[in-house]
Amino acid sequence: MYEGGVYKHNHLIELVEDLGGYVLQKNIMQTDVVILMLVPINDMEIIEAKAKALLGKVTRAPLTGTEIATVAPTLAYHHLPHLDCDVAEFLRKKGAKTNMVGLARGVGKRICQMTAYERDLINEHDLAVFILGNYEHCIIEKSKRLYEGIEVPIVVTGAPELKVEDIPNATAYVGSFGRILHHMRHSEELRTLDKLAEVIGGVLDNVRKELAKDPPAVAPPRIKKEIEEQVQEIIDSLHPLPITLQMNGARVKLPYNEFHEQLENIQFVEGVTMKEVARVMPSKMRNFTLIRALPKSETGFVI
Amino acid sequence: MEQLETFIVESPDAVGAKTTRTLIQDVLADLSLNRVIGRLKVFVDPVEPVFIFTALLRLGTPAIRLKDFAKVDMGAIDKDEVKIELIREAHAVKLLNKLWERYGKENIEQPDKKIIMVKTDPIKELDVLRELVIEEPQQEVMDRLIDAVALRIIPEGFRVRKHELSTSHIMFVASEDTLKPEWIAKAREMLESLREAEKNA
Repeated sequence: MYEGGVYKHNHLIELVEDLGGYVLQKNIMQTDVVILMLVPINDMEIIEAKAKALLGKVTRAPLTGTEIATVAPTLAYHHLPHLDCDVAEFLRKKGAKTNMVGLARGVGKRICQMTAYERDLINEHDLAVFILGNYEHCIIEKSKRLYEGIEVPIVVTGAPELKVEDIPNATAYVGSFGRILHHMRHSEELRTLDKLAEVIGGVLDNVRKELAKDPPAVAPPRIKKEIEEQVQEIIDSLHPLPITLQMNGARVKLPYNEFHEQLENIQFVEGVTMKEVARVMPSKMRNFTLIRALPKSETGFVI
Repeated sequence: MEQLETFIVESPDAVGAKTTRTLIQDVLADLSLNRVIGRLKVFVDPVEPVFIFTALLRLGTPAIRLKDFAKVDMGAIDKDEVKIELIREAHAVKLLNKLWERYGKENIEQPDKKIIMVKTDPIKELDVLRELVIEEPQQEVMDRLIDAVALRIIPEGFRVRKHELSTSHIMFVASEDTLKPEWIAKAREMLESLREAEKNA
């Protein structure tokens, strides 16, 4: 993640592209610019030197290129705006794309439910953060049933300091949250958020390691780059982040019915088309399209 | 009288009690209810599960009527009109809105800053106008209080509720399951202990 002034920032972008990296997102806010980018680890020094020359700052954003669902039991005063938005916003600052999900009937420890649609929607993300409440008993009871069918890693937050082993079905747990109805801005609260980002980073690193054992046939940033070059309509999409990167694919914010053939037939210079290296599917989110890269074991090659 | 002389959150789960305490503070501050609640006692048992909220209220000023801040008289002898002479202007905006709503804009005239003429039958309407409620601070506070307790403080999943509400106290018992009589008895007990403390203070 690069933070600096707008002046000459295109030099940095060109350098990243020359090095074979990818610019994922560029946000210009008045005279400041924030760029999320992927750079080969060996070339970090060159980028850092360039950033220094432009009086900017380069930091590692561990959540870059991931899409995270922050799930609240409902969208009521109990959870919004403060805690949920704080978590979503903070993860966004760390480079992730976050989507907020409010369940229809997620309340209560005995009566909580999740619909098939909600489950499928959450499964489209790289990771789900469940933001739960104050009481140990409730968190544990609720966890027994609520996460049924969710295949992505689950990070749970709540007030008590619990061990992950105590919480059924959860991948990780972060304490000191709970139902907080004020903006999280005190230093200890910010530290809690930092810890959450760190835990999520760790979970995602594990997922990356798993993925590396059978790597995707095409890297997600590559999918993004080719779509940007070959599908003109994406430029006109006004959605935030028209192509959202995930760890083994991307969400393309174009209607599936109209564009899936065009997306499937995208050409790579290596001589393959998109449908040979990835599956193009309808997304549960609106009428968007989801692209999932096929693993090497299925295609037999990596481009 | 100090605000929140008693503020107790009891629960077998100490961490939960602490967070709930912060939560209640936040909500009361958000809706500026700190001065309204005199004593407050909350009991939470997540295992049962039950949430009991009891508080003694200090509501402050009663409803403000037109006669409290204006002289209401008959207008000119040969006309059907009522003359309202404002002594304080503080409630003028709300008063005008109420009058417009009741008599229609065309029947209200304001020839001077402090004088409002209402075209209506003075014999019938004079007393009604004198008693017209312009502002109900108590009702407004009550609305906010219910908002705070029922919509923000009580855990969302606790859909089965029993409440008691008066100008002097508020009591809420909420649970996910059918309410047990002993919980309601406990709530009354808590309320009684708050009253006791109030008396001894």
